[in-house]
Amino acid sequence: MREHKGGSALVVRPDHELVTKYLCVWSEEVIVMAQKKGINTLDLKGKKASRKEFESYVKAHNPSVIFLNGHGNSVAITGYNNEPIVDGMSALSGAIVYARSCDAGRDLGPVLIGRGTRAFIGYSRKFILGYLPDKIMHPINDPIARLFLEPSNLAVTTMLKGKTAAEAHTRSKEAMYKNFRRMLSSAATYEERFAARWLWSNINGQVLLGDSEARM
Amino acid sequence: MNEIILDDETKERLKRLVLERINVMPDTLRIAVGSLELTKQEVAAHVREEDEIGTQMIAMELEFLRDLASGAVYAGT
Repeated sequence: MREHKGGSALVVRPDHELVTKYLCVWSEEVIVMAQKKGINTLDLKGKKASRKEFESYVKAHNPSVIFLNGHGNSVAITGYNNEPIVDGMSALSGAIVYARSCDAGRDLGPVLIGRGTRAFIGYSRKFILGYLPDKIMHPINDPIARLFLEPSNLAVTTMLKGKTAAEAHTRSKEAMYKNFRRMLSSAATYEERFAARWLWSNINGQVLLGDSEARM
Repeated sequence: MNEIILDDETKERLKRLVLERINVMPDTLRIAVGSLELTKQEVAAHVREEDEIGTQMIAMELEFLRDLASGAVYAGT
C-alpha cells in the first residue's frame, strides 16, 4: 500500500438505528477506498462516534477530510445515540467536511465556514433516503438505497482522490442526477419511479459552502 | 424551495393532490426522513396533519411536480 502524503481522513458513522445503520454500511466503501490509497483514516464507527472521540481525533490529527454521517438539524450534527458531536462551537479549521445529515447546510455549515472550516458540502433541507423494508438486514443489497447513497459517497471519494470540493460536489450531484433520470425512465421499477422525487429533493438540497477550490 | 402565498382553497386542493399522489406509493417502499422511517400511511398522516414532516412532504411533492411541468428535471444539475 503506497503512503499518501498530505492529510488524513476522519469518518464518523454511528449505527444505533435503522437509518444510521444504512449510512454506516454504505460508508464502508469510502473507508476501503481511503485505505487502498494509503490515506491515514480514522473510522469512528458505532459507539465510537461520540463527541469525545471525535474532538480528540480532530485535535490530535487535524484531518483534511471529515465525513460525517448521522442525524442532524440546522445547528448540530449528531453521532451515536444522537449525541451532538458537531455544533456551532466546533473547531474544524482547515478541514473539508461532507455532512450526510439533515439541514446542517442551512445554518451550521455557514457557521463552521466562519470558524475556519475550508469547505462544507451538506444539505440545506432534510436528507431523504428511500429503502426497501425487506432489505434492512442487508442494507448493502438494497437497490433503492444504493441509488441514494452510492452517488452521495462520491462527495467524499472524489475529495480523497485529490480533487477540489467543487469537483466533489458536482460529481456527486451529477451521479445522483444520472440515477434520477434512470429512475424516471421506462426501465425503472415502480419503486424507483416513485422514489425519484425524493432523490430530486436531495439533489436540490445539496450545497457547497466555503472555498470551492479546497482540496485534500 | 420557493414560497408562494396561496389562498386556503388552493392550499387545500394542493394538499389533496399530494395525498392522492402519496396514495400510489408502493407498499414495498419506505422513506426515511431524518430519524423517521415512514410507510405510505404514515407519510399521508403527516401530510394531513401538516406538521413539520408533512409540510416538507407537501413542499417536496409540489417542487417535483413544478419541475416536471417546467422541464427542469431534464435540464441537469
